[in-house]
Amino acid sequence: MAGAQLRDTRRRIRSVEATKKITRAMELIAASRIPKARARVLGSQPYTAKLIEVIENVGAGGAGASHTLLERRDVTTVGLLIVSSDRGLAGAYASSIIRLAEARIADIATDGKDVVLYTVGKKAQTYFRYRGYRIEQAYLGVTDTPGYGDARAIANAVMVAYVDRHVDAIEATYTRYESAFTQVASQFELLPITPPEMDEEEMAARVSYAFEPSPEEILNRLLPKYVEATIFNMLLEASASEHSARRRAMKAATDNAEELIRHLTVQANRARQAEITTAITEIVGGAEALAEIK
Amino acid sequence: MAKPFQVDVVSPEATVWSGQATFLVARTPEGELGIMADHEALMGALVTGPVIVEDESGQRTTIGVHGGFLQVLNNQVTLITDRAEIAEGGRDDAQAVAERLASQEAADE
Repeated sequence: MAGAQLRDTRRRIRSVEATKKITRAMELIAASRIPKARARVLGSQPYTAKLIEVIENVGAGGAGASHTLLERRDVTTVGLLIVSSDRGLAGAYASSIIRLAEARIADIATDGKDVVLYTVGKKAQTYFRYRGYRIEQAYLGVTDTPGYGDARAIANAVMVAYVDRHVDAIEATYTRYESAFTQVASQFELLPITPPEMDEEEMAARVSYAFEPSPEEILNRLLPKYVEATIFNMLLEASASEHSARRRAMKAATDNAEELIRHLTVQANRARQAEITTAITEIVGGAEALAEIK
Repeated sequence: MAKPFQVDVVSPEATVWSGQATFLVARTPEGELGIMADHEALMGALVTGPVIVEDESGQRTTIGVHGGFLQVLNNQVTLITDRAEIAEGGRDDAQAVAERLASQEAADE
């Protein structure tokens, strides 16, 4: 019967409307978090920039640049730090970072080296654990609003592994935040630290420092800070990227729901019209039949 | 009038203080350190304690600082701190703020 189809369509409209409300709310929540996440990315940049400047100066200013974290050695095991998200509903955000990481893992394996993983976020942990990869450490509950303490914990874990020679290099994959519309899954080498290139002229231009305490001591403290700050930056950018990706995904979902509602409303109207037409046809038919009898 | 120099106090989260100053006091493992314009190039570690910055108008800002580094180079002083917060209540308050920051960090781990 036609009435059943109409009821059915109306029920679907209601259900899609409920979904739309949810996706819309999630879109707004994600959107409201973007400015803050971006401000934190910007806020952390002066620190990192100054730190790099100081490390360059110390390197040039006489501290014999030898430190375990700078030392390049033959690689047998690579530690890969993967920054993903805890939750889905962010489009391809998690899957594109996982895809990049997996491609990198395959490359490392082809070179005949071992990989151990450090994962941030539930998505990467679940994916790689299910596939039987060796996960050394998994960090959860970090990506939404990363704190400096989180970065420090991760930095400590990878530095200890590096210094104890459990791993010979640390690489990282995360989603770089370029702008509101562009976020790129990227990869770089975290350890050993690559000292900045400087030519003779630049070296000469630097002033030699008075150190308080010794240059070695300063370098000892500076380099771990640099690793911490780099990881912190990475977490903040990944977080901003995640919120942007989620906002976009939820906006697409809301738009889709709207489109679907429009379509279903047309269908409901047609069903209603068909019902009315049927009723009229029946009445007219009945009236004519009566007239013929008379 | 004393010659001014550039001071930047940064922490991982934000720039805490930035501007021109005529005098700065900070604490390193070797002891307290006063800096005026044309100070020699210096690279030092910072310890938990107050930092005092005096700007051109003689106004003093006290900042509670925990850990980090101090760089003096070509009349630019950069404090790269682990944690820093402006303390409103002068030197003693800055000391209290610095100690609070230190205990926060201990609680983080």
